[in-house]
Amino acid sequence: MTVRGITKRIGSIKFSCVSPEEIRKMSATKVITADTYDEEGYPIEMGLMDPHMGVIEPGLRCKTCGCKVDECPGHFGHIDLALPVIHVGFIKDIKMLLESTCCKCGRLMLSEDQIQARRESMERMEELGGGTIEVKNFSKETAKDASGKGVCPYCGAEQIKIKLDKPTTFREIEDNHKLTPKEVRERLERIPDEDLVTLGIEPSTCRPEWMVLTALAVPPVTVRPSITLDSGDRSEDDLTHKLVDVLRINQRLRENRDAGAPQLIVEDLWELLQYHVTTYFDNQTSGIPPARHRSGRPLKTLAQRLKGKEGRFRSNLSGKRVNFSARTVISPDPLLSINEVGVPVIAARELTVPVHVNEHNIEKIREMVARGPTPVPERPYVPGVNYVIRSDGRRIRVTDRNAADVAEGIDIDYTVERQLVDGDVVLFNRQPSLHRMSMMAHRVRIMEGRTFRFNLTDCPPYNADFDGDEMNLHVLQSDEARAEARILMQVQENILSPRYGGPIIGAIHDHITGAYFLTHNNPRFDRFQAMNILFKLGDIEVPEPYIDEATGEPYWTGKQLFSIILPKDFRTTFKANICQNCKVCQKENCEYDAYVKIRDGQLLCGTIDVKGIGNSKGKILDRIARDYGSARAAQFINQVTRLVLGALMNHGFSTGIGDEDIPEEAALQIRNNTQDCIDKVTELVESYQDGTLEQMPGRSLRETLEVSVMGVLGNARDEAGKIAGKHLGMNNPAVIMAKAGARGSMLNLSQMAGCVGQQAVRGERLSRGYWNRTLPHFEKGDLGAYARGFCSNSYKSGLSPTEFFFHAMGGREGLVDTAVRTSRSGYMQRRLVSALEDLKLTSDGTVRNTIGTVVQFKYGEDGVDPARTVRGKAIDLDDLFAEVLGDQADELLHIDTKDVGGDYGSLEKDEMEYIEDEESEEYDDLDMDFDGGGE
Amino acid sequence: MARKDTMKALINRDVSEETAALLLTKYSSLSAISAAGEEELVELGLMEEEARSVLAKIGKRPASSSKVKKEVEEVVPVEPMEEVTNFYQYNEGELRLKAIAERLEIRLPMKIIVDIAARIKNADLSDEICEKLITTANRMYTAHLMDQNESAGVMAAHSIGEPGTQMNMRTFHYAGVANINVTQGLPRLIEIVDARRVPSTPSMNIPLTGTAAEDENVARYVASNIEMTTLLDIARVETDITNMRLIVTPDARKMEARGIDIDELVDRLNKVKAVRGMVTKSGYDVVINSDEPSYKKLQTMFDAIKGAKIKGIDNITRAVLSKTEGSWKIVTEGSNLKEVLKVEGVDADNVMTNSILEVADVLGIEAARNSIIHEAMGTLGEAGLDVDIRHIMLVADLMTNDGYVKAIGRHGVSGKKSSVLARAAFEITAAHLLHAAMVGEVDHLEGVTENIIVGQPVTLGTGAVNLIYTPKKKGDEE
Repeated sequence: MTVRGITKRIGSIKFSCVSPEEIRKMSATKVITADTYDEEGYPIEMGLMDPHMGVIEPGLRCKTCGCKVDECPGHFGHIDLALPVIHVGFIKDIKMLLESTCCKCGRLMLSEDQIQARRESMERMEELGGGTIEVKNFSKETAKDASGKGVCPYCGAEQIKIKLDKPTTFREIEDNHKLTPKEVRERLERIPDEDLVTLGIEPSTCRPEWMVLTALAVPPVTVRPSITLDSGDRSEDDLTHKLVDVLRINQRLRENRDAGAPQLIVEDLWELLQYHVTTYFDNQTSGIPPARHRSGRPLKTLAQRLKGKEGRFRSNLSGKRVNFSARTVISPDPLLSINEVGVPVIAARELTVPVHVNEHNIEKIREMVARGPTPVPERPYVPGVNYVIRSDGRRIRVTDRNAADVAEGIDIDYTVERQLVDGDVVLFNRQPSLHRMSMMAHRVRIMEGRTFRFNLTDCPPYNADFDGDEMNLHVLQSDEARAEARILMQVQENILSPRYGGPIIGAIHDHITGAYFLTHNNPRFDRFQAMNILFKLGDIEVPEPYIDEATGEPYWTGKQLFSIILPKDFRTTFKANICQNCKVCQKENCEYDAYVKIRDGQLLCGTIDVKGIGNSKGKILDRIARDYGSARAAQFINQVTRLVLGALMNHGFSTGIGDEDIPEEAALQIRNNTQDCIDKVTELVESYQDGTLEQMPGRSLRETLEVSVMGVLGNARDEAGKIAGKHLGMNNPAVIMAKAGARGSMLNLSQMAGCVGQQAVRGERLSRGYWNRTLPHFEKGDLGAYARGFCSNSYKSGLSPTEFFFHAMGGREGLVDTAVRTSRSGYMQRRLVSALEDLKLTSDGTVRNTIGTVVQFKYGEDGVDPARTVRGKAIDLDDLFAEVLGDQADELLHIDTKDVGGDYGSLEKDEMEYIEDEESEEYDDLDMDFDGGGE
Repeated sequence: MARKDTMKALINRDVSEETAALLLTKYSSLSAISAAGEEELVELGLMEEEARSVLAKIGKRPASSSKVKKEVEEVVPVEPMEEVTNFYQYNEGELRLKAIAERLEIRLPMKIIVDIAARIKNADLSDEICEKLITTANRMYTAHLMDQNESAGVMAAHSIGEPGTQMNMRTFHYAGVANINVTQGLPRLIEIVDARRVPSTPSMNIPLTGTAAEDENVARYVASNIEMTTLLDIARVETDITNMRLIVTPDARKMEARGIDIDELVDRLNKVKAVRGMVTKSGYDVVINSDEPSYKKLQTMFDAIKGAKIKGIDNITRAVLSKTEGSWKIVTEGSNLKEVLKVEGVDADNVMTNSILEVADVLGIEAARNSIIHEAMGTLGEAGLDVDIRHIMLVADLMTNDGYVKAIGRHGVSGKKSSVLARAAFEITAAHLLHAAMVGEVDHLEGVTENIIVGQPVTLGTGAVNLIYTPKKKGDEE
């Protein structure tokens, strides 16, 4: 067996220009005929499709190397140009050279001393590790210094200034004499090698006269294949089209020149040739019209092939197409492990893993091959084999018909491409791949159906939902890749996000609600209920039940059930999300059951909610992942989600429009309050119109008004929310979701039940629309609350027509914002990645780029991995003291425990901003729904 | 056009407009000026000192030839560095823990020691327990260290870029009570990594010291010294065509509010070049008589005094007082760190500006690095996004590691990469390739992009290890 993996590396790549001699030397054929194919459809000798330059049709053989299609890489040809033409890409450099060197003797117009000094600086620069860019800038300056001299310091020849008429014509300013490319080439030839080095050009790789072309390399046919259309017509590649133009004009130019045609005609043709060669290199050269196809479409010539997002570099070299991949719609499956992905049978039958045949597995493999690509019976799923690769590299496709024969022929050292089985390691990905958790390794689970399925807790890292999202799956093909994926990329290894040092995978939405019902105020579960919840957890130890004193029935408490899945020595203390932030914390005696205390793996008090097990905030999760290892964390997440969903199903949970019902008196209260605020606004507007409004420092009168009105109306909404919230009560499902942190916020609720509030565009009240008013429903110049986009109704009660319109205005801004944002932030990320991709932590603790420049002497000033930090802190002090001093640490140290709850993503926000955020989020969701894809 | 550009360039370098105009009478480019040398400039009519400073300012760019460069170096006297003495002084508890750690030969970051010390300061713990604390802390710390060959850069780029999608595009945000408009969210973040010379909304935060911090009136006075006041802010200007003069009518209330009296105003106006020496006081008004009877001249005079700075600091268009934690501070629109630091009553140690390049110019590159971190963390924090500071540190360090602030992007870090292929893959593909061919560049395939392009494992993470295990073949056994 040959050693797989890469044993040789490309050490370096050198770039250089090709001299005309070299072009002719490497040319497989000279191209003289502008035609491509003859009547029979065979390529014409010495034409652009000459078979010496490679073959594109199956069956034919290359006349240079004798290989067939796909084997022959193609060979260059060449065109001898009748007269030299300038290469556009180098036009600036040619200009620089012409200006800085003498037109007679070709020397660089600086004194010997200056040249010497420049050379020394340059050498020193390289010695000190100056990059090509620094050297480039330095030599640019050298050229600038040398140019503009009146007289050559060496031969004393007078210099005539040169002007560049874009794109490729040089002119002597004084007598307006046009320099022909030939003259340019002659001048460049005169520049001595030493002076070129001073100008930063390496003469061995690029003599400047090579920038004026006398021979044009013709790329191999394989680079510009012609396509045969259905109708049988041939359609040539853009490059071929361009080369045809070059050849035609070249031919005419040669004929005219040889026939001694008038100078004028020759010059015209020469210029035309220059145009064609220029557009052949770059069809977007400024100053000349792009060469077009007959249909009017601009041709895609050499530069266009490389450039931009769809160009060779970004599209084919930095990103590559792959086999062994699949893509389909995703859907949730709460019963899968976080490390698994459900793969449909149809996909699994196509995706294969190569297995090397050895004496230990040969029998099994024979059996597998014998089953063919579509084993019968279809259920249960057993893997078949799609291809067999013999030791000599020949591939044999296994079909149902030949399966038995192929199986017979299997031998040691064969490789068999086996279909997926449960447990195979695959990569799973959702675009946009914004961070490393966008591509994680999962274990395969073959399933019925046609969608990929995975655990709901894996949604946040992928940013996936199930409104039609599609995801990609890649099957790993080598043992090294599988090992690496399993150790580094598996979902459980990525529970802790390197962005903020907290868990990115954790309970979401219903899990949180379920956990709330399971643990809040410690409900009781009888044997039937408890077993119903627990049976999904698998291998667990069921604790001794309590016995109900009245009935004698055994029962389990919710906190007891939750404790089952905690590690046996787990201890932590924190405040839950439902904490009301009382002035004096009652700790264990908290009336809201918000003080969570876990000792020896037993939940002693408190409610588990988003701060306990939630994604990004979950304190318990965080601790388990950091201190008990990723496997334990994965187990915990798997169990906790099943447990809490069990509890939720036992309890039952739903929410609907009825949950936003508030009693008539509350509605009245809100109406009155809102009306008061609106009256206040009217007063403010009046005082503004009277001029009695007191101006705020540094604001104009109008701005003062706007600020105060916004304040008053903001209050109105908050107050309405408060009143509504008071009447909704803690047993309202929507409130439970908001308070436990499952979904939605009290703000959403207050908008639904209380009052939608002020609509804003660009952070200001609405003002645009008609002349001096927003809608014709209002008087001109009306600055009142309703006229400027205040919505006093709630979503539940329904908006009035004007309110609806204003709301749409605010909403539209959110949509536009999202659209603009994605492209802007995408570009920023691309730039960040491109700038930072080469940085790595070296073994001496410094951060360096790949050429060894030190960027940081100690990563992050303490060398700590952000993914392993505790909310950004190098170590968890609470943990430290608890470990060293025991439970009484706080008392021992005389500290009042302030907030010990973990809180990652939610810093306090300005109220106004908050509502804006909420709104735009809401519209993001809408956006997804309309798209149906969310991509 | 070239003259105009040079003029702009000179002014950008802080050369006064008059001097610039004078210089341009003879020279047309910066390099020409710097090539001229001091004596020539003096001949031109500049003060010796002025000439020197002009040369120094231009000298920021590498001068045209090494000869001149040397001269410039001589011209600028290197100011002796002041030794910084007011470092953070570790307190007793901290020093004690540090000593213990040193005895145990444990090297913990001082931050951890300080944190522990802060926790135990109220308790009387024995050496034994302290030792245990340090060893345990060390165990935790070592477990949290980053792995070798970890691609710290990509991690940072992802961690900053990913939340970008969740950020707000809305730029409007009023910083606290001061009602100063500051760019926030994604646009601000982009601005920071772009290393723009001037942010879209420059702003300063100026804490005050001494009486100014306590007394509102003193604070107001300081603010009036900072806020730039132009003539039109405090007075009306009329053109008296019959008598060929300008009449400036100051608004007494506004004058008082800004703390300017009429003599000061006259003094100021007399310094404006176009009307030098022509300003006189006449009653409550200020009269400017034209020295030549030309309407054109009158018009230029009007234009010159209209925008004339009477008081305050250039670029600072507004200065608003605000009170935080019992002491007054000033929040400004516009930024000019260099000048603000000189103002009396300003707590110079704690003045902040959001203009990173300005920090780099005035306080140096280390300060600029901290400024990037502070601004980026602030922007992300404002949006409610939690990003580890280490990621931002890395970006800031990369942007500043060679002594001046580079942008993240084509003109900065990415454009300076050593690999041709990596640069070509990022932006302006063709130009990079052609230039590489011309100078015969060699790509050593050390970075990530290059290796992806040629199809090799990259040199980060597991790819950094050059170890291949070849399993023994059957025949090789024993």
